[in-house]
Amino acid sequence: MLQNESQDIEAATATLQAQPDSKTRRYDRQLRLWAASGQAALEAARILVTSGSATSTSVLKNLVLPGIGHFTILDASTTAPADAGNNFFLNADASIGKPRAAEAVPLLRELNDSVDGVADVRDLAALLDTPEGRQFVAGFSLVIAHNLPKTTVEKLADLLWQDPLYPPLMVVRSAGFLADFYIQFHEHCVIESHSETAPALRLTKPFPALQAWADSTDYDTLDPTEHAHIPFVIILIKEADKWRAEHNGALPKAYAEQKAFKAAVLARQKKLDEENFEEAEAQAVRLWTEKGVPSDVQALLDLPALAPDASPNVAFHALLQTLRAFVSDPAGPGTLPLTATLPDMKTDTESYVRLQWQYKEQARVENVRFKELLRATHPDVSIDDALADAFVKNAHHIKLLRGRPFGAFARDAAALASALDMAPKETLTHLGLNALSAVLERSAEVTPEALTAEIQAAVGAGVVLPEDELENVVEELARAPTADLPNTAAFLGGMLAQEAIKMVTKQYVPVNGYCVVDLIGSTTGVVGAV
Amino acid sequence: MATTTISNGAAIAQDWPGRYYHVDQVLDRPGPRTDESFLAGEGVKDFLRNKCKILVIGAGGLGCEILANLALSGFKDIHVIDMDTIDISNLNRQFLFRPKDVGKPKATVAAAFIMSRVPGVKVTPYYGKIQDKDDDYYLQFNLVICGLDSVEARRWINATLVNLVDPENPESLKPLIDGGTEGFKGQARVILPTISSCYECSLDMLNKPTAFPICTIANTPRLPEHCIEWASVLEWPRVHGDKKLDTDDPEHIGWLYKIASARAQEFKIEGVTWSLTQGVVKNIIPAIASTNAIIAASCCNEAFKIATSSAAYLNNYFMLIGTDGVYSFTFEHEKRADCPVCGGEAVDMTISKELTVDKFIETLIERQDIQIKKPSLSSGSKHIYFQAPQQLEEATRPNLEKTVSELVDDGGEITVTASSLPFSLSLRIHYS
Repeated sequence: MLQNESQDIEAATATLQAQPDSKTRRYDRQLRLWAASGQAALEAARILVTSGSATSTSVLKNLVLPGIGHFTILDASTTAPADAGNNFFLNADASIGKPRAAEAVPLLRELNDSVDGVADVRDLAALLDTPEGRQFVAGFSLVIAHNLPKTTVEKLADLLWQDPLYPPLMVVRSAGFLADFYIQFHEHCVIESHSETAPALRLTKPFPALQAWADSTDYDTLDPTEHAHIPFVIILIKEADKWRAEHNGALPKAYAEQKAFKAAVLARQKKLDEENFEEAEAQAVRLWTEKGVPSDVQALLDLPALAPDASPNVAFHALLQTLRAFVSDPAGPGTLPLTATLPDMKTDTESYVRLQWQYKEQARVENVRFKELLRATHPDVSIDDALADAFVKNAHHIKLLRGRPFGAFARDAAALASALDMAPKETLTHLGLNALSAVLERSAEVTPEALTAEIQAAVGAGVVLPEDELENVVEELARAPTADLPNTAAFLGGMLAQEAIKMVTKQYVPVNGYCVVDLIGSTTGVVGAV
Repeated sequence: MATTTISNGAAIAQDWPGRYYHVDQVLDRPGPRTDESFLAGEGVKDFLRNKCKILVIGAGGLGCEILANLALSGFKDIHVIDMDTIDISNLNRQFLFRPKDVGKPKATVAAAFIMSRVPGVKVTPYYGKIQDKDDDYYLQFNLVICGLDSVEARRWINATLVNLVDPENPESLKPLIDGGTEGFKGQARVILPTISSCYECSLDMLNKPTAFPICTIANTPRLPEHCIEWASVLEWPRVHGDKKLDTDDPEHIGWLYKIASARAQEFKIEGVTWSLTQGVVKNIIPAIASTNAIIAASCCNEAFKIATSSAAYLNNYFMLIGTDGVYSFTFEHEKRADCPVCGGEAVDMTISKELTVDKFIETLIERQDIQIKKPSLSSGSKHIYFQAPQQLEEATRPNLEKTVSELVDDGGEITVTASSLPFSLSLRIHYS
């Protein structure tokens, strides 16, 4: 390298980052999914797990490794020979007879020095009977319960439903190869859903600078190199204008029109290998699919707020209402705020950087307008700039889930009837696991007949159940009613941890409804979503 | 650590009463979806715990999970192969390793950990490549589970197990269970070599690797990735000559980062960071413990069901997407009649009469269902082009300029081979 060239590089890169520290290196492969903000949320989380079963410790393993802040295992039982055989986080036969929680905690903690873990040998059912105990349980950020007795899980779910500020509850039940799990929450709001659909580029409603660029672009005066590097965004805006002028202001609608439009775009090629026009043809679909407000976001704008004071999502709702105001603002674009992220495209560096700068500048202007509206409409809500910026940037992908109490689905005759029709196997597995809890609770023998009777009583005597699916479920459950199989435990451990991470980081989208797992057919399915 | 009896690396079986309370519930009696051949009770337990021998390929993110699951399920004779050593970035998911293990071979550390935690299980590690082992080695196992991150290695073991099948000897058919993950997504599949769709049959399902054209990198960079590619593909060899880029060396990454940042600044491109530089040059795929746990559990569950016949097994592909709710798709991937490994039929290819051998090779490299990096071509006994040895390369090099139609008749066959793949591909050529 030449001397002066290398000096230039030194000067240009004086502000470079140093090599990442060991924590960043350790977490590198996950930071690429949820970034430092997600990691900070994980590290602030305190998780209560209500047993030291194989499934419970599998979930914990997958939360300790990525660096959850704290976990408590609440378990009054001593290690049985069966536990020592199916749980990787016990010291095999050496743990037999010792408290299960205390045996498991050190083996989980050694997975990650930065995680705090506690064994609590009190009895959950007894805790739920005292105000102090209930306060203790409600003080965590997330509660995870595996195979609890029927009345205990119902009490726990009732408690945590009482206040929207109480932690979400994840209930998981398993028997042999069959399982289901459910996340109980009032409302879950996601700004960073990491959706893979591309945000709108405003091709049908260009902002002024973009329109000016399109208007000033004259295909005939450009030299061949420039012509082959016009960004597809500009090409499509020009062609859409032309089409509208010739079609009473309408864009292509019918398939034949869309085809004709694409052909017109390609016909602009001066040479056969102009890739920017090929790209414009391929991207033309944006013109008839891009919406100012995507329908799922529109549905959120129209959603009535939950009781505003009682919600832990006050900030999110303030932002949502501001978004509604932004969209209907007569001085605004009539769309969601612009996102500055541009896809790569066939063009030269200068055009691309210029285009990127224009999108950034417009996004900045709209961001400022959004914040003005926010302050005007919600002077009392404290929202820091970073949160508002993230919301505006991800406005195309925001999600809001509303839930129901654990068990509500099985009491909803109409929802059950429809689910039995749409997804009989999953619905019956869910009902079968309900029935299994009931039979085990009264210490009766678990037989296919006993389970069938429970299921029939739950859905109502008149409801006809699909015979083959019912038989498959009740016979499989009766075969292994109390088996916490190592592979099923590991599978659920992964599933529950994924969902816990999504709940805690408020990134990606957690499951809404009962996720039913069948590890014979190796299928999963969701029933009972709101 | 467990107070278990391990002496000289040999584990002594010690099954305490009640140890298999959970697993035995599904081994003592059949369920409604259990095949009639199931030998409930002692027969199946004896096979699983005393006779079955299983091979795990890979002791990384999936491998650690697979080893633990198999051991708890009752497999007692487990072998594991891995050619890697432990890196600090493995510790967020590869739960058999601790900071003190960084730098040691994964296979050895993982095997020792499993044996100390689960009494009576014997895990035999091999620190090296799967290609080091011959047919006799692979023939000793009942089942093979793969937890790999390399397409090349998967193609190799897949082809090896397909070639191993001797129709006269049912024991020669080794079920292959393969898992893979990326972020919140993953897949698990069961391959019965020669009977069901094999890894090669589904090669076109892989995402196309992102490749940036050299002209973009050199002339019209737009993204930070273009600047990083410029630093690693063009600047590194120009400045360092023959010195090989080591993507695990922080000094090397630091140099690329510096050069890429300078170029980005020159072109007013934002977004070059250390992390992105490393991600691009190492082709890093995000990986987390929970997804690995799901996929490894699925693989081991299939291995358990196949080994015991206690329940029907996966037919044959399970795909999971966990980014938006829990979505999974279970389906039967179909065998390809023209699969170069298990199909037997030649792949039909129609090309222009004017296409040169050189361009033809480029087409082969780009084809998603073929993906051969350095193909050698022949037709019958005629050499068309050979990458090696040198003499043969020189002798066949003039053919690169010729058209394929000069060398092969319409309807003729071309055999494609590559040193990295233990099989050949037959193409039947037609001219348009």
